Amino acid sequence: MDSLNNALSAIKNLRSSVGHVFEVLANGVQAHHGDDGRDSKFLVQFQELFNNVNLNLREVESVINGLTPPPAPFNLGHTAALAQETTDERQALYSQLVNSYKWVDKIHEYSFLANNILNCNSLRRSYISYSNKRGRLQISSCNNTSPQHVDKVLNELSLNSLQTNYKIWRPFGSNAVVIVNIGRILKAAIVFKGVMIEWVTVKGFDESLDVDDLWTESRYEVFRKVQEQTHSAMLHFFSPTLPDLAVKSYMTWIHSYNKLFTEPCRRCGKYLYNALPPTWRDLRTLEPFHEECKNC
Amino acid sequence: MGVTVLQPYSVPEGQTGPQTIEFLAKRLLALGAVQASTFIVDCETFIPNPQHGTPKTVHVLHNSEYPASTFAVLDTGTKQVPLVADALFDLLMLKMAPAHTSKKQTKIESKGARFEYGDFLIKLGSVTMAENFKGILLEVEYRPCVIPSNCWELIRELLQGFLGVSIPATIPPYFNTPSIMSMNHPKSSEIFNPNHTKQNDVYQPMDTINQYLEHFGNFRKQTMLSGGTGIGAPLRS
Repeated sequence: MDSLNNALSAIKNLRSSVGHVFEVLANGVQAHHGDDGRDSKFLVQFQELFNNVNLNLREVESVINGLTPPPAPFNLGHTAALAQETTDERQALYSQLVNSYKWVDKIHEYSFLANNILNCNSLRRSYISYSNKRGRLQISSCNNTSPQHVDKVLNELSLNSLQTNYKIWRPFGSNAVVIVNIGRILKAAIVFKGVMIEWVTVKGFDESLDVDDLWTESRYEVFRKVQEQTHSAMLHFFSPTLPDLAVKSYMTWIHSYNKLFTEPCRRCGKYLYNALPPTWRDLRTLEPFHEECKNC
Repeated sequence: MGVTVLQPYSVPEGQTGPQTIEFLAKRLLALGAVQASTFIVDCETFIPNPQHGTPKTVHVLHNSEYPASTFAVLDTGTKQVPLVADALFDLLMLKMAPAHTSKKQTKIESKGARFEYGDFLIKLGSVTMAENFKGILLEVEYRPCVIPSNCWELIRELLQGFLGVSIPATIPPYFNTPSIMSMNHPKSSEIFNPNHTKQNDVYQPMDTINQYLEHFGNFRKQTMLSGGTGIGAPLRS
């Protein structure tokens, strides 16, 4: 292989020396040859270069003589097939290339527009970010967590509260249904999907609440109203990036209903409004308000 | 089943009982309450024949909210023993005639209209004893709640709202008695917690009956003091 490389470099040298000769010839007689006897000087320079060419040629010949012819033709693999057909029309590659280029261009344009639109809308429930790899991982952690993780989150909650007790059921496979008893005031069934809260049913302490019957409403007006409020809080506390924290803050909020009947409205100071106690709890301060008073 | 509180309402001067009840009913309807049928709670008292040992009075009560049950309270003077039985218990009392006799003229009852206002149940009862009007007894029930101390403030606010009179801030004395659960415990004196009174316990239908009995007793005493219809021996020693 070395001798082949030597031969190739010798050929390169020969080419460059020949190129130099023609360059000098093309430039002809120039200023640096001086005034007197410049023809002879030019001739000397040309002879020198020509000798160089001869030397290189001899070297090439000697190197080539030293080469041994290869025993068999080189194996070129699939590249050999390239030589079989060279006309563009027969291969039909060009139109396919143009099409795929157009598609890539369109995808780029549409995804750019979609990104702009989705960034404007901050009230979305899903967390879409096509460039953020972490975000995508957290979506899966919100819907698709292992049952052990859900158990762990809920057990931490039940350790922290004295008046509230939690019972975890899994009637529909891996998704949990938690029956929460808050004091001796109310019962709530919270249906989870992974660690995301999907549905809440609120009933009175003396009403029955089974996992088989999660959808009937309470027979008392006050608990039907409380159920509405728990649903709006459910949407408020939803957070796909920190699902565990969302569940914990929701549970803290719902626990504030243990004083449903014993605390007057923070705004009007009364217990009753339209025969209902204050059914709304402020999302941050947990203060009680009547539904009618909370927006005043 | 919720918490029930009874509140006697004195008839204003120059008005009759039915007039006052009609007046209160109009106020309730103006508030947005809906009338839903009527109710009756009656109480019959059986006194023992003297030859059968120690005297024990038996009060038998019926409440139209619990139509299949008969409530009985055995009163020994120091202790009251409650009993909830089927309606057949009335027939059993008839068989007991040799031991206990009914005093028909002391049969007292409260009946009237029943109103629903949100989750509240309000009953305007006129109390009559032996067909004589004795007074007005209001019953307010808050159905979603089961602990009296939790919803007393709600009931008080409602009562003040439509009666227009000031109601004492403390819960009625009946709810300050020790709860049945702690009294029946064998070591009640050792583990009894003074805070564990009826107001912190789950409300039972028997609590309504006990309150009616207490108020019926008061109406009977009033009658005796004013010397109205003249009843014999005192009912409660």
